[in-house]
Amino acid sequence: MSTGAKEELRRTSGSGTDLWNVVQPPTIWAVHFLISYLAAAILCARADRTAPLDPVFWTVMTATAVALMLIALVVLRLWRVEKFSTVDEDLEFERNTPEERHRFLAHVSLMLSVLSAVGVLYVAMPVLLIDTCR
Amino acid sequence: MGRRGRFDQRGEIAIISTRQAHFAPRLSRFLALCCLALGCLALAACDAPQSALAGAGRESAEVASFFWVMLAAAALVWLAVMGVAVLGVFRPPARVTERAARWLIVGGGVVFPTIVLAGLLYWGLGLLAERNTAEADLRITVQGERWWWRVTYERPRVPADDDPQRGRASSAIARVVSANEIRLPAGEPVEFVLHAQNVIHSFWIPSVAGKMDMIPGRETRLVATATRPGVYGGVCAEFCGTAHALMRFAVVVEPKEAFETWLRAQAAPARKPLASAGARGADLFVSSGCGACHRVRGLIEAGEVGPDLTHLASRRTLAAGIAPMTGEALVRWIRSPQSMKPGALMPAYAMLPPDEIDAIAGFLLGLE
Repeated sequence: MSTGAKEELRRTSGSGTDLWNVVQPPTIWAVHFLISYLAAAILCARADRTAPLDPVFWTVMTATAVALMLIALVVLRLWRVEKFSTVDEDLEFERNTPEERHRFLAHVSLMLSVLSAVGVLYVAMPVLLIDTCR
Repeated sequence: MGRRGRFDQRGEIAIISTRQAHFAPRLSRFLALCCLALGCLALAACDAPQSALAGAGRESAEVASFFWVMLAAAALVWLAVMGVAVLGVFRPPARVTERAARWLIVGGGVVFPTIVLAGLLYWGLGLLAERNTAEADLRITVQGERWWWRVTYERPRVPADDDPQRGRASSAIARVVSANEIRLPAGEPVEFVLHAQNVIHSFWIPSVAGKMDMIPGRETRLVATATRPGVYGGVCAEFCGTAHALMRFAVVVEPKEAFETWLRAQAAPARKPLASAGARGADLFVSSGCGACHRVRGLIEAGEVGPDLTHLASRRTLAAGIAPMTGEALVRWIRSPQSMKPGALMPAYAMLPPDEIDAIAGFLLGLE
């Protein structure tokens, strides 16, 4: 069976992992927040108040890059689901069919991805401006 | 059916518009009154000694300008949203494509707030970063007690080793213990080191800086620069028990020379009372047991559970900012602290004869 046919079957049969897609972006955001917060907390708990935050800066920057990349991957996958429609292209998911359910959940996850990406960027902002533990 | 429905609709619209015509002048008068009242309120608040918008400190001025910008931006956003809502109600439905509507939602609901909030966050974090790196020579340790403030002035950075002579001389005035009033030199950054004895308090001088929590077992810091001389109000901003609302302090900002003179005077021990009445008050102060909790440097240095009273009369207020420093208030306080500050931990001394209380109050008022 080709990939396209598999996808087709998945849509019409209603099986799939859409709910996992919904929680993925916020989970990435949460993990990014935890990494950033813990890195700063551990460094500052061990070091002096005047200690520079450089290691934390690089940790947060790396975590941010990875998190944004993962969210982008989720978005790409969801985009394909949301765009694909055999009946209509609109955003009114009024039909009680597996496809409409898939597209609706994909749309929800897409919006959550945008929110999570913004969240990740906001969480990363403090290390750009604050450079010591004070 | 269709015609009838339309007719009904029109009839209703006509009724609504006559009502509007009737209410419009009253409504606009009401709105004008509201605006006037709010305006007066805002103006009155700006000049008060305890206003965060008074701008008597560098930090509070920054926060105030941040607030005004946010207020203006919020007002603009509010007007825009209300404008669109009014337009949506009163204009006949226009032909808007779904694509355009979606872009309005994405642009106004996602892109615009994200950019505006990012800008505000950047600015706010910048303020935080700047505030936290300021260097200060004067350190004021404030410990939150139930329900008053223990205040210690220090100059930890004053060089002690390069000139031992000067070092010792300056370390003599390097640590001054006081309570319930804070003096600040205008224009000099001050580092507040904040502690709490047993419950959480929050240290706040709205006109100058703050606020910062005081947490038992922890040390929090706040760097502030008072800029405009004057007398301001400080408060505890975190509920801490029965007398929380009566846990206040006065903040006196004065020119640097005046501050140094005052600090030197505060570092000196209490002057021995010359008049015999004062001497009797001092004897009674000791024999009644006041010294078990209160320290008067040079007279009795046993306890430090209560506020240091060495230079009590130089303060503006009594009992942590709730009463003027007068003989009458002092007598009332000694006789029954709980009547002035419910929950106060100082025991009442109503069993002392009135003339003894008067003598103690007289002695305390001599401690300048």
